[in-house]
Amino acid sequence: MATQKSKPVSIFLSLTLLLASTACDLQPEDGDSANAFTTYRHSMDGAPSSLDPVHASNIYSNFLVVNLFDTLYRYKYLARPYQLEPNLAEGLPLISADGLIYTIRIKPGVHFIDDPSFPDSKGRAVRAEDFVYSIKRQFDPEMRAQGSWLWQGRIVGLDEWKKNGADYGQEVSGLRALDDRTIQIQLIAPFPQLTHTLVQGHSAIVPREAVDHYGQEFAIHPVGSGPYRLQSFNNASAVLVRNTRFRQEPFSLAAEGFDPATQSGLGLEPLEGRMAPFTDRIEIEFIAEDAARWNAFVAGELDFVKVPVTQFDQVLANRNPPSLVPLMAEKYRLIANMESGFVHTDFNMDDERIGYHPDPDRDARNKALRCAIIKAFDWHKRNEIFYYGIGRVFAGIIPPVSPEFDTEQDQDLISRDLDGAQELLSSHGWNASNLPVLEYGFAAGVTDRQMFEQFRSFMTDIGYPAEKIRPLTFATYGDYARAYLNREVMLATIGWTMDYPDAENTIQLFFGPNAAPGTNSANYNNTEFNRLYRASSTMQPSPMRTAMYRNMNRILISDCATISGISRTLILVWNRDLAMLPDRSFVGGFFFRFVETNAPSAGDGTD
Amino acid sequence: MGPGRLWSQLRNDRAGLAGLLIVSLFFLVAAGVWAGWLGQNWSAANGGRWESASAEYWFGTNILGQDIFQRSIYSIRTAFEIGLVVALASTVLGAILGALAGWYHGTWMDGAILWLKGVLDSIPFYLLVAAVAFALHGKPWAMHVAMIATFWTTTGRLVRAEVMKIKSREFIAASQAIGLPDLLILSRHVLPNTLHILLIQVSITFVAAIKTEVILSFLGLGIQDGVSWGLMLAESTQEVLAGHFNNFMAASLMLFVLLLGFNLFADALQDAFDPKQVTL
Repeated sequence: MATQKSKPVSIFLSLTLLLASTACDLQPEDGDSANAFTTYRHSMDGAPSSLDPVHASNIYSNFLVVNLFDTLYRYKYLARPYQLEPNLAEGLPLISADGLIYTIRIKPGVHFIDDPSFPDSKGRAVRAEDFVYSIKRQFDPEMRAQGSWLWQGRIVGLDEWKKNGADYGQEVSGLRALDDRTIQIQLIAPFPQLTHTLVQGHSAIVPREAVDHYGQEFAIHPVGSGPYRLQSFNNASAVLVRNTRFRQEPFSLAAEGFDPATQSGLGLEPLEGRMAPFTDRIEIEFIAEDAARWNAFVAGELDFVKVPVTQFDQVLANRNPPSLVPLMAEKYRLIANMESGFVHTDFNMDDERIGYHPDPDRDARNKALRCAIIKAFDWHKRNEIFYYGIGRVFAGIIPPVSPEFDTEQDQDLISRDLDGAQELLSSHGWNASNLPVLEYGFAAGVTDRQMFEQFRSFMTDIGYPAEKIRPLTFATYGDYARAYLNREVMLATIGWTMDYPDAENTIQLFFGPNAAPGTNSANYNNTEFNRLYRASSTMQPSPMRTAMYRNMNRILISDCATISGISRTLILVWNRDLAMLPDRSFVGGFFFRFVETNAPSAGDGTD
Repeated sequence: MGPGRLWSQLRNDRAGLAGLLIVSLFFLVAAGVWAGWLGQNWSAANGGRWESASAEYWFGTNILGQDIFQRSIYSIRTAFEIGLVVALASTVLGAILGALAGWYHGTWMDGAILWLKGVLDSIPFYLLVAAVAFALHGKPWAMHVAMIATFWTTTGRLVRAEVMKIKSREFIAASQAIGLPDLLILSRHVLPNTLHILLIQVSITFVAAIKTEVILSFLGLGIQDGVSWGLMLAESTQEVLAGHFNNFMAASLMLFVLLLGFNLFADALQDAFDPKQVTL
């Protein structure tokens, strides 16, 4: 009996010692904090497939990558629209007068985390050469990288370097480390969005020693210089712990774009002057199922959740602006986060049944048909049913989150006009018997099917026979994407998330030379639109460039090539005792470092 | 067993009669939908989102404002369409392959059919159906093909055994003695004697086809254009979370009652054909 008793006791003691030692390892080491060991429990609706920056092409990977590695730039934590902020870079790039040469200095004294891949397992200093190596990796065919499109055809010598066998010993004339701290990038033509691309996880800086040491396992063995290091990772969760060697930079509300009018209740003020990252440990649960994620949150197992749309009725007291019902407002804070992108349904302009036609008369009739369909589309109802009425409907392809969005836009462009639609059809000789069959593509899923059925009901309201509006379903999203990239889908609904906050990123979706299999899945091709795009794509932001963007938007609307669009609003909810402003956009992962889990002086909130 | 004796057996089985009545009622509704008298507004979205049951919308509305009652009864047509096509096709296929295997017992043909059946049976049923449906996704008959390709094996096994038994009977020997070709003997004298098995198998496969359709549609591999209880249940997964149960209740109850009816009827048929059952 005595033996039986002693076993649990020894296990208990061992566990206690183990926990104590682990906790000691993870205690904040700077003088900043008298706080206890702190943990933030985040949730995501999908899991990263890789933590290697060359594969960080989705939001889940990107969120982790920008916390495990350093990028040269990031976006200000609190400023909206997004504003660039130096991260590893010392300042914004010095750009030559012709816009072709970017010179960037990196901060001194930044080190990679300690890792066995380094001599004596001590992380060495980050050098400009590491950035050069990291970008070259994107062009190395062996890496099967997913981020090379950001710089393809942009940097002098980089594409040739790839063609010549991707030899890392060979220098790229347009991508050089002038010394340990100076990077120089030479462009083939001006690329004003270059700095934005240096925010993305794809541009994160990796040490060559670690890549060589871990090989393919680098995808689960990240070694970087970001604010966190990886403790564990699988397809259900990841645990990040604070990088105790992360550079000491005092937090400044003003520098991060703090707006007292809208953000004063978030409890951020006490953070002024403190050193990020504020939280010692971040636990991220990957829960794809809405119900499971929501239940885990209300059960207190998570600190943050993206509220499923089906819960909006229970969670929201008001829609505009969204606010929590009183019972929830006592425990949680809320932010309505407009997506940095939009959803649109493209007509396949390559399909002669609805798009361009060699016969000018039929071409004009097809245009009238497309315009009638757009007029019959009820954006108000679409928003109401699928986005709880809190999405932002707008005309064209410049979404509200982009700085070039036209706030004075004509609302008639997004108002349903059944009479106008019917008039267009009849005046161009369309009737129930000669209207073409519409094939509406989507990947099999409940919501997409419901959207199709709603589209069909919109069209029957203008006399389009229901049996002529047919679903074209695909087993997976991959099959669907392949089909519309092969120009096989007549009507394709697509969601686009902006890679950087510049409308160029959405306008290029309709640039003629980008036609499928490129990003222009509508296969739209307008000479004037293309000319304006070419001219504006090398311009720095300016009122003139904005005017050109808006002009392109008007041309596209007038050609009726897409039913567009809506930017969805995500409702993000988190525990009231956290001081933070979460962000779920593609470029939003940087906020982890500013999460404070111990915020006794947080205000009453601005729900 | 003649139809008169079969009916007399069934008449004494109250549960079987109830099952027949239920199936008949559902079939009448399906016929009404086929004829264009019922459920024709299943896709119209005229109501508000998630309206409660009312005089206008007997089972309420779904998220799009579609009438759940109309969708439920249109789904009866879907269920019968799939049930009938799959049950008949897979039973005919099973009968033919089973008869060939039984008649040519011990030959390469028997071996080949048994091998094919063994391979299909060795794969978990729903996994195989889902895989075939996935591979053929987008084709209008993908789901039907998937089910027929997997459902024939049980019928084939039963018919093979029965044919082997019948083959040893004297009337078959007599047919062979007068020089009738094998296929004629099979079609005229052997297969008609397996009718009791085929009838039971049709009823059982019918039920299995309806259940499988619901599962495949729930997974997004089933009905492509139209509505079915499976699609309604798939929709309800999001609605139940928000406290709306009309889609779930309507589809589940309809499915439950129809399957109950078919099972009672199939049991009664089995009892009626069972030679051990003695009617006094």
